[in-house]
Amino acid sequence: MLRALRTAALAAAVAVSGAVSLGADGAIKFTDLKLKNGLRVIVSEDHSAPTFSIAVTYNVGSADEKARRTGFAHLFEHMMFKGSENVGPGEHFTLVFNNGGNMNGTTNQDRTLYFETLPANQLELAIFLESDRMKSLDINKANLDNQRNAVQEERRLSLDNQAYGKTYERVGEQAYDNTAYKHSVIGSMEDLNAASVDDVATFFKTYYAPNNAVLTIVGDVDTKKTTALIEKYFGAINKQPQPKRPELAEPAHTAERRSTIDDPLAKLPQVDIAFVTPPAGNPDFDALDVVSWVLSNGRSARLNQVVVREKQLAVNAGAFNPDKRGPGLFQVSAQVAPGKSPADVEAALLEEIEKVKNGPIQDWEIEKAHNTAIRNQAGAVTSTLQRAIQLGEYALFYDNPNLINTRADNYMKVTAADVQRVAKKYLTKENRSVVITLPKSAAGTGSGKGGQQ
Amino acid sequence: MKRHALALAVACAFTAVVAAQQPAMQPPGNPSKAAGTVLKNKAPVTKEVLKVSLPKSQEADLSNGVHLIVIEDHRAPQVFFQMIVDGAGGYYDPPTIPGLASFTASLMREGTTTKTSEQISEQLDRLAAAVGVSAGLSSPFATVSGNGLTNNLDTVLGLMADVLMNPSFAQAEIDRYKTRTRASFINNRMQPGFLAQERLSKALFGDHPLSRVAPTPAALEALNRDALVEFHKAHYLPDRAVLAVAGDISLDQAKSKAEAAFGAWKKSGASIGAQTAPSTPQRATVSFVARPNSVQTSLRVGTQSIERTNPDYDALTVANRVLGGGPTGRLFEHLREQKGYTYGAYSSFSASRITGSWSASTDVRSEVTDAALTDLLDEIKQMREVAVGDKELADTKKAMIAGFALSLESPNGILQNYVDRYLYKLPADYWDTYPARIEAITAADIQRVAQKYWSTDKLQIVAVGDAAKVEPALKKLGAYESYDAEGRPLKTTGSQIQ
Repeated sequence: MLRALRTAALAAAVAVSGAVSLGADGAIKFTDLKLKNGLRVIVSEDHSAPTFSIAVTYNVGSADEKARRTGFAHLFEHMMFKGSENVGPGEHFTLVFNNGGNMNGTTNQDRTLYFETLPANQLELAIFLESDRMKSLDINKANLDNQRNAVQEERRLSLDNQAYGKTYERVGEQAYDNTAYKHSVIGSMEDLNAASVDDVATFFKTYYAPNNAVLTIVGDVDTKKTTALIEKYFGAINKQPQPKRPELAEPAHTAERRSTIDDPLAKLPQVDIAFVTPPAGNPDFDALDVVSWVLSNGRSARLNQVVVREKQLAVNAGAFNPDKRGPGLFQVSAQVAPGKSPADVEAALLEEIEKVKNGPIQDWEIEKAHNTAIRNQAGAVTSTLQRAIQLGEYALFYDNPNLINTRADNYMKVTAADVQRVAKKYLTKENRSVVITLPKSAAGTGSGKGGQQ
Repeated sequence: MKRHALALAVACAFTAVVAAQQPAMQPPGNPSKAAGTVLKNKAPVTKEVLKVSLPKSQEADLSNGVHLIVIEDHRAPQVFFQMIVDGAGGYYDPPTIPGLASFTASLMREGTTTKTSEQISEQLDRLAAAVGVSAGLSSPFATVSGNGLTNNLDTVLGLMADVLMNPSFAQAEIDRYKTRTRASFINNRMQPGFLAQERLSKALFGDHPLSRVAPTPAALEALNRDALVEFHKAHYLPDRAVLAVAGDISLDQAKSKAEAAFGAWKKSGASIGAQTAPSTPQRATVSFVARPNSVQTSLRVGTQSIERTNPDYDALTVANRVLGGGPTGRLFEHLREQKGYTYGAYSSFSASRITGSWSASTDVRSEVTDAALTDLLDEIKQMREVAVGDKELADTKKAMIAGFALSLESPNGILQNYVDRYLYKLPADYWDTYPARIEAITAADIQRVAQKYWSTDKLQIVAVGDAAKVEPALKKLGAYESYDAEGRPLKTTGSQIQ
């Protein structure tokens, strides 16, 4: 029935049931199996609270969307709450909340994730709910039109009615050539309008198959009983042909990209700089995380210390380096202080990047990175949901859920020389894309007067 | 950074995370677009509510009068501290400088008599630890918080104590803070949510401290070092402070470390002034805030709420959950799941020693402002006029009682329950009796509090958005007052909801 994927060591560790969630070495224990239909199942016991979390990570995101259907993966996510053979529209969240649980769904470029946290005695309910919608989604036009409206309001709420909303979309559009990552997850109004019931049915059959998902359960559960329940509810769902992964490779960039946005909702200019980076599994990636921490983790970090506090050019300034399965974007962003110029802010941001390349990187900055890695790992220990999500994503993205135990070690190995090396390699002029946002009233002069009213 | 939150906010099924199929009335001529929630009742649900008991807090008093509350949690090698100083919050701002408590809190972190702001930051960041100070604009409390890995606790507590007792208020930091805060005022006014909250708070509380949602520019300009030194000296006193601790530490360890760090903070014997409640608004008002280029209307409907110790607190909590406590609330069901007007519609309330606010909120595309506001007000009316059905009531109560289990994952959440019990002088067994109290709430209780607190003559309505799209909807309600995005009145008319 169940085929063991992982080594005997892990399976043995699980066979000894007990109240401890961590091994003697502090490692998080889990089992990792595959059903005959290809569903990957990860279970991690943690009996410290009478709760559990379930996460279903589907191997589909906005990067998989076809032309003229931007936003579809996320619109589809909303349809997953509108009912299936044995669950009425809206009944999923009614059952979860009414039984004391919490839940949500979320979509990004690389995956679509559904999760619930519930009291420990509702394990079967959660497994049933996730299986019924994987098996038999109820697809109809009334539900689609209703959720299309909700998603379009989500777009207005988060982008169209907010200052810098246009900027957020432009950063990706300008920095990527590859269409997979070029468009926003929320998608365009036009494409959302074009989405049809047929699109939903095709997408469901193609991507929402057991062999294209990872199911993770973490918490106050018994691994054997849990895997048996999973087999009972998911075992009969048919496997589908494995969908083709999108082409994520980004051609090498040879020249800086740049544009300006006039934003009628913004009252201060903003400078956004994005550099294309390797995928998160690449050995250089963790060192790039450390570059972002040197620049902007904590108040002592360089961008805040120099650009905001000393030079007083920006209201805030930060750098971040989100995990991506494909080429990522290392982003640096600063909101221009009243009366200061975007050009001066941009120059100051780039100067700090040059200083990272040229060194020195202080010992305490490396120590900060190491301690940050240790603290980040604490979340996986204290939250069943966070642990479930991390195990599922590490399994899906890197075929290595044990990264939950080893990733902090990778950061521990990052040295000052690594930090300088990756900054030199990726944070280059040819590889950067700059978006300057100007309040519309100030845009005519091009001087970026700071948008003072 | 705020903008990164924007990126994360995109593309979830719901913004907030909570109960009820419901019989909302459809206004004539505005038929529902979708059937909304349908229950097939085929899922394997365990009927029993899992019985859990909240871990007990461990409490003690320090020699300087600070009350210590500890929740032990040894799952990860980290500890979270909060020194809550009663009497140092914005409620106690002098009338001449509204916002002084907030200014003082922010600037305490910007350097002490022996350490610069940079030195403090560097010492903390190196350890991936943090220390911060904050004060609510209208609350009586300020909080010095700190957290770090277990092996760095002495450093964290030492810096917390230094920031708490020895702030230098250097002029250069005051100047820098003023520049930064002026920019934050500009940022606030870009955001429709801020503009709505500012206007609703004014409508609810007038000039009372509870109306404050941001310091005023005039107060910022009036700020000087003497005012900061004076406020700090007079208001940061241990006499009524609470040190709340959660994490990898025992009561004994916490007590000895706290005595060592805060021993020099001496009891003053001074008392703090009692808080006075705001007067209730004379009339229900409708306010419009013009935000040009808006593509949505931000709608808020609110009233003053109640004191935390009010006997109606539990009933109002249940009533609020039925109406707008999450995706299973009536507002979400009607405005999103049936009508598709919005990404979300919720209600929430706060309570304090004197009172708080209750409000329902939603952001809808400009074109449906009228229909959405009509439906929202109708849902509130239903709560007043029709008793909640047996199943909806039972489901809501079960959600709240069963949900108690989830709080056991979060020691900081458990700690907050005990802090509330102490600060509001709730009974010792308050959290032990919580499930029984919620279970005892009846449909009549809910209807009674809905009538009492959500009556038409109390509901203050605010809309932020594009004038051409919003004003016709507001005109139907009678007279309304208009403001620009800077908070300045555009025109004033005697207004009264019909």
